[in-house]
Amino acid sequence: MTENAIPYSALYAAYAAGTLDPGYALLVETQGALRQDVRRAIAMSEAAAGALLEAEAAAPMAANALDRAFAAIDALGPVAAPSRTGTPDDADEIGRLPAPLAEAVSRSVAAEGWKSPRRGIGRLRLDMGSAAEVELFRIQPGASVPRHTHGANEYTLVVTGGYSDGTGSYGPGDLSLKGPDDTHTPVGDEGEVCYALIVRDGALRLTGMIGVMQRILGH
Amino acid sequence: MATELRPNYDTFARLAQGAKTVSCGCTPKAHSRYCDQNLTRGANLKATMVRTADLAQRERHASCMNSIACEQSREAFAELFEFFAPRLKSYMQRLGANESEAEELVQDVMITVWRKAGMYDPRQASVSTWIFRVARNRRIDAQRRTSRPELEPDEPMLQPAPAEQPDAAVARGQLEEQVRAQMANLPEEQLVLLQAAFYDGLSHSEIAETYGIPLGTVKSRIRLAFMKMRGGLDAPT
Repeated sequence: MTENAIPYSALYAAYAAGTLDPGYALLVETQGALRQDVRRAIAMSEAAAGALLEAEAAAPMAANALDRAFAAIDALGPVAAPSRTGTPDDADEIGRLPAPLAEAVSRSVAAEGWKSPRRGIGRLRLDMGSAAEVELFRIQPGASVPRHTHGANEYTLVVTGGYSDGTGSYGPGDLSLKGPDDTHTPVGDEGEVCYALIVRDGALRLTGMIGVMQRILGH
Repeated sequence: MATELRPNYDTFARLAQGAKTVSCGCTPKAHSRYCDQNLTRGANLKATMVRTADLAQRERHASCMNSIACEQSREAFAELFEFFAPRLKSYMQRLGANESEAEELVQDVMITVWRKAGMYDPRQASVSTWIFRVARNRRIDAQRRTSRPELEPDEPMLQPAPAEQPDAAVARGQLEEQVRAQMANLPEEQLVLLQAAFYDGLSHSEIAETYGIPLGTVKSRIRLAFMKMRGGLDAPT
C-alpha cells in the first residue's frame, strides 16, 4: 500500500518554528485538530525542530546559571498538579470546538461579542494579533451567508457541520480558498450547525442591497 | 534578589521588530552566523545530526523528565539543564538575543520545564521536541504580525483528507524516530535549509536571499527533504 503522501507546506515549517502569522497558525492548529494528515505533518515539522535543538552548538551559560534556576524553583513553592485549562465559556457548542479555537472564541466573546449580520448567521471577530482578518462564522442549517465579493484571498475552514456553495460541499477539516474575484453564497448544510473559521487578507466587501445597508450602518 | 519569573515579552518583541539591515536580508547577527559561516556550519550540522539518532540519550532525557515530574528531582533537572540550557542559549542568540537576554530567556524556559514536567508524555515526542516547543511558544507569545505565509494553489491543507489507512495511527513517538533517522542521512545542503525553514522559521524568500539560492531551488530542496523525513514510499511526482 502506498503511504498517504503528506506534501510539504511552508505553513507547517513556519508553524513549527513559531514565525507563522497568528491567524494562519490558528488555521493550521484547528485543521490539525480535525485531520490526522495535518497533525502528522505538524508533528514531523516539530520533531525536526527538536532534533535541530539537540544539534545546536552549546553556548556556555553563566557560572551561577543553575543556582539561579534553583533559586527560582524555590520561589515557586510546591508544584501544583497540572490542571486542564477549561474554557470559561459555558456554551457547550464552543466547548466542543478544538481547544486553541475555543480559547480564542472565549477571549473574543468577552471583548466584542457575536454579531448577527443576518438571521441564522453569527459572526465573531477573533483578535489574534494577526495581519489578516480572522473570524468565526456560525451558520444555521439552511441559512445563507450574504453574497459578497472578497477584497482579497479568503480561507474558510469548516470546523463543525458543513456548508455548500456553487463550488461544492465542505465538511469538518475541509479548507477552501476563494480569490478576490469569486462571489459565492455559502449555505449551511442540514444537520449540525456549521462553525467555519475564516482567515482573510483584506476587508470583506458585501455586494447587493445587504452590502449597501451594511456600509450605511457601519458594519 | 527576586528572579523575574514572567516571560520576557519585551525582549521577544524587540527581536520581532529587529530590522533586517543587511543587504542579503539577514539581521546583523544572522548574517554573521549564516552567510559568513555558511559552509562550516553546514558541515557541523551534518556531523551533529548523525549523533542525534542516538536513542539512549533520548531515553535518558525522558527518564529525567519523569524524575522531575514524580519526585521533583533536582539532580534530574540539573542534568537536563546542563544539556539544554547551553543549546537554548544558542537558539535565543540565533533569534537575535544578546548575551544577557539569552540567559534570561533560557532561565524562563527551564523554569517552565520544571513546572510543566508533569505534562510531558514520552510517547508523543522527545524531550528535545517538547522543550523546543516551550521555547518556540515564548517566541509566539510575544510576536504579533509575524511572517506571512507563502500559500500556493496546491497547498496541501486545501486538499481533501486522504482516506484513513488502517495502520495510519502512528504515534508521534514513532514518527519522531523516523524523522531523526532520515535527517541523519540528509546531505548538508538539505539539512541547512530544513534548519532555516523549520527551526529559524525563515520564509522561502528569506532563505533564498540569505543563501543566495534561487527561490524555486529552495522550495524544491525543502520539499525533497520533507519527503525523505516522511520516509516510506515516495509518491511519484
